[in-house]
Order: sequence, then structure tokens, then C-alpha cells
Amino acid sequence: MKVPFLVIGGGLSGLAAAIRVARFNPSVLLLEKHSRLGGLNSYFYRNKTLYETGLHAITNYAGPRDKKAPLNRLLRQLKLQRNDFTFCEQYHSEVVFMGCTSLRFSNDFNLFQSEISGKFPQTGDKLQKLLVFLGNYDPFVPMPFTSAKKFLLQILGDKLLADMILCPLMYYGSSQENDMDLSQFAIMFRAIYQEGMFRPLGTIKDVLDLLVAHLQTLGGETRTSCGVEKIVHHQGTAIGVQLSSGEEIECDYLLSTIGRDETMRLLDKTAATPMTGYGRLGFVETIYQVPEIEATHLACDKTIIFYNDGERFLYKNPEGLVDFASGVICFPGNFQGLERKDLREIRSTHLANYALWKALSANAEQYTAEKERTSRRSGRCLENIIGDFTTNIVYKNSFTPLTIERYTSKIGGAIYGNPTKTKDGTIGFNNLFLAGTDQGFLGIIGSMLSGVSIVNQHILPRL
Amino acid sequence: MTSEEIKDLILEIIEDIDDEADFTSLDADQPLRDQLDLDSMDFLDIVMELRKRHKLQIPEEDYPHLATLNSCATYLEPLLKDA
Ligand SMILES: Cc1cc2nc3c(=O)[nH]c(=O)nc-3n(C[C@H](O)[C@H](O)[C@H](O)COP(=O)(O)OP(=O)(O)OC[C@H]3O[C@@H](n4cnc5c(N)ncnc54)[C@H](O)[C@@H]3O)c2cc1C
Repeated sequence: MKVPFLVIGGGLSGLAAAIRVARFNPSVLLLEKHSRLGGLNSYFYRNKTLYETGLHAITNYAGPRDKKAPLNRLLRQLKLQRNDFTFCEQYHSEVVFMGCTSLRFSNDFNLFQSEISGKFPQTGDKLQKLLVFLGNYDPFVPMPFTSAKKFLLQILGDKLLADMILCPLMYYGSSQENDMDLSQFAIMFRAIYQEGMFRPLGTIKDVLDLLVAHLQTLGGETRTSCGVEKIVHHQGTAIGVQLSSGEEIECDYLLSTIGRDETMRLLDKTAATPMTGYGRLGFVETIYQVPEIEATHLACDKTIIFYNDGERFLYKNPEGLVDFASGVICFPGNFQGLERKDLREIRSTHLANYALWKALSANAEQYTAEKERTSRRSGRCLENIIGDFTTNIVYKNSFTPLTIERYTSKIGGAIYGNPTKTKDGTIGFNNLFLAGTDQGFLGIIGSMLSGVSIVNQHILPRL
Repeated sequence: MTSEEIKDLILEIIEDIDDEADFTSLDADQPLRDQLDLDSMDFLDIVMELRKRHKLQIPEEDYPHLATLNSCATYLEPLLKDA
């Protein structure tokens, strides 16, 4: 079998790339190892209930008229109608540095600005300077790494404020420890503070179903439970792939969305792969559900809270299994226009150490016990900020970096992949390119734009 | 295709990309991109649609010829004379 265009990975970047190509050439085949599409942003069922794996909020909210906004550009590029979706905007979110101060922000950037000038009056017009700089800055021009942390400190002159601004941006889009590249900072600042957050009215399953149906209407095809074992190549040209079933599929162009080192492993079985996921960041996430009637007192007006205990914010691979000193608290039900359900969902995210969890997993009992401890400890941390709820939990489920590794084959279970990005999507082959997490754009909108832009850049002009 | 038909074709393609595109005050000698708020990603769609509909391979170095409605017509007329 031979297809002109083959995509490895049915996450959001792979789906977007496949749709983009299928618009102009329907012979597109997408291969996904897992039994379900979506990758990091998928769903699962427990007790006949659908749970989303990785949806807190989608960044880059934009109204329908704002043609140049990334969200609307993405919809146009994929030829999706905005009316096919109902977008629910966040209430407001907050960065809380416990014992210091907090900053609220919403999809109206004025709130964030007034919070900063109210709580950091000494910064004066420095925030304006930052905004002017960002307004003139093109994050898509290739540049060597520039520390966003140093840059912010320099322009704002306040370490606490710099860290508070960085905290949500790192949690939602930094693959690097304790810093991020200035270009990534500029993208994320706009995505989260200047544009804001939303979610679809339904679930991520509805979004995925819609994307797949759209791809099929255009003539494209997806195959799940279909892992690629090997990329067959010859002298810098990818010839095709070999599946775990033994089947071989040839192609003219190949796009891999599974990560850079993960792709290298498929190219050369003997290549040394970073076994510990060194320098990669892992996370634990817990979903709690409490009856709505017991939850009325819990931060009802907030969508997401990014917290840090104290002044010093560390975004790095923790020394223990989990670093509870900071984290993200998300209320997936707290978006405008959503109906209250019987159960209130609360999610928590913390940084976690992959290697320690991996070592622990040799003993299943211990691993399960630590997961249980993590969910309890995380729950107590959350209670300090949002109020009591752990006595009323009716369901909870945690996942560790190993869970992510198992379901998405990401080395080190690292959600944001390799700390070093391959921005131009090339890895030394003339017809094999990289998109998604390791190309550099992160998050739902980011990964989809990554799929689209790599296709635009390398594949469409040659197809 | 005549020059006028080619212009209609381009406008039809643009309308397909952005159904809210407003052509009422379009100046055929001014860049389409600025007037219609198109970015380089949208622009690629025009090229791809021409390829899909008329099997036209437009090399990247010729993209500047598609800048305005009139320059599109001038550039495409010989290529689409039998279309
Ligand atoms: C807990 C969690 C919460 C998150 N919250 C948010 C959020 O609120 N907002 C947001 O914007 N983003 C969020 N993200 C991040 C977002 O989900 C990702 O950035 C995005 O989905 C990445 O998409 P991708 O296509 O690049 O990668 P992936 O989703 O990892 O897709 C890669 C796919 O390739 C498949 N694959 C791997 N190896 C093979 C192989 N050999 N053969 C075939 N297929 C293979 C994998 O199974 C996977 O489906 C979250 C992620 C997690 C895990």
C-alpha cells in the first residue's frame, strides 16, 4: 500500500495536519497507536462516565470578528465553521503566591493590568513597556534562546511580579526548567493573558469526533490501535513505515507528531534513547469529584488557580516524587454558559519526578499506595486555597508521568516533550518532518497550529 | 478564461476562505492581503485552490505576481487561456 501523505500520531497536531493536507489532496492516512484518538488530550470512561484526560482550558480565546487571532486563523486553515462549536469563556482565573499576593485575570486584559498596577504600584509604567515590546516583537522569527526570566526581571524590576506572571505560562507551556524562551513567553503571554481561556460546551470527545468527521468528509482516513514500529528510510528519504502488525505502508511524505527522540527511535532501533527522560518535565494530575450541594462554597467564580507557596517559585523536576509547593487547580465546570451538574469536578496538577515514579512502579502495591498518598496530599494543599472538600469526594483518579508514557509513548511521560525544540520541523530528511509538541508550539491551539504550519511550510508547496 | 473571469475566480476563492470578506471597496491595484486582512497562511490557500481547481503549479518565486487582483489576472491569463 502507498499513500502520498502519512501522519504518525493522532493527537491534535496530527489531526490538524491531516485535515490541512486532505483539503487539497484527500489521500491522507493517519496512524495512531492507542485505541483512541486525541493523544494527550483524549478521554476515558470509568463507571460509565466520560472523563477528559487533559483539558483544563483552551488558550487563545478570540471573538469571531478578530480575523487575525490564532484561533480564527486555525479554524479558517482547517475550514471548520466557528458555528460548529460553542465556546464557553472562563469566569476568571488567579495566580496566588501564598503569603505574598495574588493576581486575577480574565478574558478582559484590563483586569490583569489593573490587578498588577494595584498590587505592584511600584512597577509604574513598566508593564506598558513590556506590552509595547511584545506588540512589536515577532516570536516566529528564528532566534537563539533568550531567557524570558532574565528579560522580565530586567524590564519589570520585580522578581515576585516576574515569577507570578511566569507561573501560569510555564505550567501551560514550558518544556524547560525554571525558564522559557522569550519567543515562547511572548506566544504564551498573548495566549493566556491577552486573549484568555475557554472550553467547548461539550467534551473533548465532541471536538475530536468533529475533527475526525471533518477529515473523513475531506477523504482522509484514520487508523487506531495501529502503532508504527519502524520508519523505513534510505539515504535521507523516508520510504514508509512498518506497523507493529508487520504491515508496511509506503508514502511520499511523512509527518511525525510523536516527538523528536521518539521519531529517532523509529528511524534507528539501535539509537541510544534517553531512558530517564533527562531534563524533561513530568506532572501528576488528580481529578476529584464532589457532590455539587457540598461544593457551593468552593471558589465558584474562578476557573483556574495557579498557586505557589511563598515567594520562590521553582518550576523544575522535583527532588521527591511530587512537588506540592506549587500547582494548578482547575474547575472544568466553571465556564460561562455551562450548566451545573450533580457532581463538581476539581483537578490538580503538580510537577512530578518521572525517574522516581518509574523506580517505584517495579512494585505495583507501592506505586498504587504512592498514587493514593499523592491524591490525598494534593487534596489537602488545594483545601488551603479553595476550602474543604476532601471529606466529600465521591470519585478520584490520578495519573502520573508513567500513565502519560503508557498512553502517549512520550519519553519520560513529559507532556511538553523535549526541552530543546525543533522549530523548523526538519530532522535531516527531505520528506519527513516533525510537528506537534517537539516542534515547539504547545497546548491545544499551539499543537494544532504546529501541524498546520509545518504542512504549509514543507508539504503543501511540494504536493 | 478572460481577465474578468480570472478576477471572479480569485474573489470566489477568497470568499471560500473567508465568507465574511468584503469586496465592496476593493481596489484592484492594491495588495489583496492588506485590504482583506489576509495573512500568509490564507494566501497559501489561494495558491492551493488554483492548483486543486486548475492543476496550476505556481512556483514560490511567482507568488508576488498574485499580490493584487489585477496582477493576478495578468499573471494567470496566459496560464488559464484554455481553461
Ligand atoms: C493532564 C494534561 C492537561 C493538559 N491541559 C491542557 C489544557 O488545559 N489546555 C491546553 O491547551 N493543553 C493542555 N494540555 C496539553 C495538550 O494536551 C498538548 O500540548 C497537545 O494535546 C499535544 O498534542 P500533540 O499532537 O503534539 O501530541 P500528542 O497528543 O502526544 O499526540 C501524539 C500521538 O502520537 C501517538 N503515538 C506515539 N507513538 C506512536 C507510534 N509509534 N505510532 C503511532 N502513534 C504513536 C500517541 O499515542 C499520541 O496520540 C494538557 C496535557 C495533559 C497531559
